[in-house]
Amino acid sequence: MLIGAGLILFLMAGLVIAAFRVRRPAVDDARSEKVWILGLGLGFSMAVLAALLAYGLVAGERLMPRAAADLVRVEAEARQWAWRFAYDDRPGYFTENLLHIPAGRPVDVAITSTDVVHSFWVPRLAGKLDAIPGHVNVLRIEADAPGTYRGVTAEYNGEGYSRHVFTVEAHDAAGWAAFVAEETP
Amino acid sequence: MKNLLRILFPLLVWLASFSAIYALHGLGCALGWSNVALPGMSLFRWLLLVSWLIALLAQGAMLMALRSRRFRSHDTFIHRTSLATSCAGLISTLWTLLPVAVSGPCG
Amino acid sequence: MNALRRHRKLEAIWSSEPGWKGWTSSVNHSDLGRMFLFTAFFFFFVGGVLAMLIRAQLATPDSAFVDAGAFSQFFTMHGTIMMFLFAIPAFEGLAIYLLPKMLGTRDLAFPRLTAYGYWCYAFGGSMLLVAMLFGIAPDGGWFMYPPLTGPLHSPGINTDFWLIGITFVEISAICAAVEFTVSILKYRAPGMSLDKMPIFAWYALVTSLMILTGFPPLILGSVLLEVERAFGLPFFQADLGGDSLLWQHLFWLFGHPEVYIIFLPAAGIISTVIPVMARTTLLGYGWIVASAVALAFLSFGLWVHHMFTTGIPHMGLAFFSAASTLVAVPTGVQVFAWIGTLWKGRPELHMPMLHILGFFVTFVIGGLTGVMVAVVPFDWQAHDTAFITAHLHYVLFGGFVFPMLAGIYYWLPLLSGRKRLFRLGELAFALIFVGFHGTFMAMHWVGLMGQRRRIETYDADTGWGVINFISSVSSFVMAIGLAMVLVDIIIHAFVAMRGRRNPWQAGTLEWASMSPPPSYNFASLPEIRNRDPFAGDPDLPNRLAKGEGYLGEPKAGRRETLMVDIATGRPEAVVVYPGNTRLPILMAAVTGAFFLSILLKLFWITPLALAGVAALALVWVWQLGSRTDQGAQDAGRGVTLPLASETDRSPGWWGSTFLLVANATFFGSLLFGYAFLWTVAPGWPPAEWLDPSWAELGLGIGAALVGSIALRVGTRRNRNGTSPQLALVPALLATVVTVIVFALLLFRLPPPDGHAYAATLFILGAYGLAHALLVGLMQGFLILQVRRGFTSARRQSGFSVVGLWSDYLCAITVLSLLAAHLPGMAL
Repeated sequence: MLIGAGLILFLMAGLVIAAFRVRRPAVDDARSEKVWILGLGLGFSMAVLAALLAYGLVAGERLMPRAAADLVRVEAEARQWAWRFAYDDRPGYFTENLLHIPAGRPVDVAITSTDVVHSFWVPRLAGKLDAIPGHVNVLRIEADAPGTYRGVTAEYNGEGYSRHVFTVEAHDAAGWAAFVAEETP
Repeated sequence: MKNLLRILFPLLVWLASFSAIYALHGLGCALGWSNVALPGMSLFRWLLLVSWLIALLAQGAMLMALRSRRFRSHDTFIHRTSLATSCAGLISTLWTLLPVAVSGPCG
Repeated sequence: MNALRRHRKLEAIWSSEPGWKGWTSSVNHSDLGRMFLFTAFFFFFVGGVLAMLIRAQLATPDSAFVDAGAFSQFFTMHGTIMMFLFAIPAFEGLAIYLLPKMLGTRDLAFPRLTAYGYWCYAFGGSMLLVAMLFGIAPDGGWFMYPPLTGPLHSPGINTDFWLIGITFVEISAICAAVEFTVSILKYRAPGMSLDKMPIFAWYALVTSLMILTGFPPLILGSVLLEVERAFGLPFFQADLGGDSLLWQHLFWLFGHPEVYIIFLPAAGIISTVIPVMARTTLLGYGWIVASAVALAFLSFGLWVHHMFTTGIPHMGLAFFSAASTLVAVPTGVQVFAWIGTLWKGRPELHMPMLHILGFFVTFVIGGLTGVMVAVVPFDWQAHDTAFITAHLHYVLFGGFVFPMLAGIYYWLPLLSGRKRLFRLGELAFALIFVGFHGTFMAMHWVGLMGQRRRIETYDADTGWGVINFISSVSSFVMAIGLAMVLVDIIIHAFVAMRGRRNPWQAGTLEWASMSPPPSYNFASLPEIRNRDPFAGDPDLPNRLAKGEGYLGEPKAGRRETLMVDIATGRPEAVVVYPGNTRLPILMAAVTGAFFLSILLKLFWITPLALAGVAALALVWVWQLGSRTDQGAQDAGRGVTLPLASETDRSPGWWGSTFLLVANATFFGSLLFGYAFLWTVAPGWPPAEWLDPSWAELGLGIGAALVGSIALRVGTRRNRNGTSPQLALVPALLATVVTVIVFALLLFRLPPPDGHAYAATLFILGAYGLAHALLVGLMQGFLILQVRRGFTSARRQSGFSVVGLWSDYLCAITVLSLLAAHLPGMAL
């Protein structure tokens, strides 16, 4: 995408500079209109954008959460300025600002808020999704490898915003089994 | 005033149909229409596709009307500009509502 | 009469009062355009200082320059000032100053409204400045998402300053938009058909129509949030049936078109300047008009792309992703038409052209990153990071500030009649260009590394320190460049170097006036035969000064111009403008008292201020009345025309029509909000419904229909020369019944602070009640005019205006009552 954008930018810049430099014979308006407006303005931009749109739609479809057998579900509840996580596999247990997930398995995070609008974002695991009071949004994340991932809130939510962060800990199969079995790792 | 409306109307119809189908989509997802099965695909997909078709037909009809002797403007400039915006309306309807056919409806 | 005597006579009629007193009483568009521009650039300076403070804070990690509270006020006010107090008013100022000159007429359609709009802007903007000086400025981000800005999480007065101040300022935007629309459609030089209009006027027309339909959703949102804050009606509180997403929809329904409202006037400047700089004509005029219209409409189908991360279903996102890519097509058509124009001609690198080149580079990059964030998966990562901040600055600085600077350098010789002394502008441009790209390239980069927007500090171990430092240093370079532009203009103002007329050899009409233009613009109005009337006709200014055009004979103290047919530009009527008056500033002050009373919770003042506004409005209209028929007027060149006030399509009718377009959008947004809360908000259905009543529903709809029909009968009777009172009095009685029905609705509602359902119906009822009272006032006023002899079969304009408002009342009454009573009956 970046390369394509760079090429278009150079094309435009080249055309503008050439307008000052190149000596050219006079062309009648009707012909110029055909080249510049129908050709470049409509034809060129629609072709590029159609390709981009097709790519976006396909990529979007692929990111759609699908039904999975080994799906894990957790809940994320935001408030000013903390996150509280709950686990379907371990009812009644909560963590603050630390989310445990199994690595290599799809995880659905059900996100909501008790006060203002927040946004759940773990840059290395998925895009962001807002926490909105009264609504529950479900985000599919999946960590490829065990480890610690940095998570942040990504919607301005008052004075504690810049310090409103959390951590995601992805466990291997054994570690997750131990976590679920109430032996807090 | 009528001449101005000739230029504005096609895209106004696009805006109306785009908003209406977006609203229909929101309503359908809220009421769970995507789970009602009909021959070929869900009731919801049928509804969306049919409304898309209606929107396209409306745009096509508008284009024909603006070309027809009866409704066209006598002013060449207005006539040509209204045809251009009418084509823009048709393309916009085709382009922006394309997800009706290719995207997963809800979720 | 020679040209000099004609000039003196016209000056005596048109000029403002001398000295500072003239500022408060002037209704002249040249004066007010300059005042608008001056004030807008003052706010640009304030917003720029705030930007410098933001960059100073972010220059180093763990900075302790300001605390989080002050920082949130900085970024909120920076965005708010630049969007609402700089960009829109700067466009308004430029268009107010230029449009009548470009269109070959003497003033805008409603001179007093221009002044009223200016004072609303000045007073509303001052409110926000005062808030900032006292350290109680808004701090919830410029898009003010509730519940953060709601009564629970922002109990202070900060947010109220935003909601009330910005709504006050928006009155000026709506006034200007109505005025531009009517002026461009009806106030042109004879013969200027739509296809001969200067391209800037097309852009201004499209922009104005967008303001009329784009601003009302935000005004509604602000009203709802302020009502929630002041009176506890829960529109955005999830536990009481409200939904914070409603605000996001209303805000972005405004917010996305806003971007194009800012860009389109700039595109108008570019389309005007490029052909002149390239010594040719614009390529693809018709295509550019069509693509500006397409852009305007498409921009209303994009608002959800600001909400890609709010959990909207996938297909919904796909619609808006598709629309967001498509909107680049008409933009592309325009950009290529401009490059094609450069190729067609022989471009010369004058000062305005430098800024146009700056525009090309910056705007294309902004457009390309814009297309990137239109792709949903990419946006999920980039959303709310510095990447978005950088993108929007590329679009707005590239798409507005560069063209605006080009426009300033282009029209400065017209405004002052002088030429530039030093070559300071070239150096300034270089600094601005380099500084801008340094600042925001760095921000793209650090945004992709994950730096969120609006954080007041970051840790040293993020590795963002160097990039932010580059960004901050570059931003100071840019600021120095902008300061040099200011110095350049100040030198220009103080060093008198007489320039020649039309230094760029442009073909548009504003250059055919004097430099600087006199208060009346043209001593007589030209007959237009092509798109560049001044090109190839260098003698045009002399002939106009000699009075060889229309309306060349100054008549006893009357400020006159012509109204024309929309499509062909054929002259239709002679307009007589009101003269200098302090009514606008007074009315703006009383309007300000209304807003202040709500801000300071002094609710006993509110009804007094409202009554004051209504009384002044009646005086405003009363002054236009006449007790005798004037008959046909000599318009010069052998043409006789009626007075505009003696036609049934008076300026007031046109103004009302477009004001009602904005009003209907407001009402439509309210109905949308009602339906949205009903279907999407959690916490529905409400515990208690309005007890529906067939009697009220029938009575209300019946009265609305009777009122509208009776007024039509009255209009016809007046035209036929019979007494209209027999029909006007029943119309007034029917309106009184409508008032009662709305009052009953408000009275019988469940408590509006208990649930969003009752709260929304309360607003719907209050809207209906306000309109019924307003129309009742208008009908009463019309009856009074009839009795005092201010109407006749010729002087009929009042009837068509009141008829229009009565029809509107009828429509909203039927819709509101159905929306209020039907659900209770069906359930």
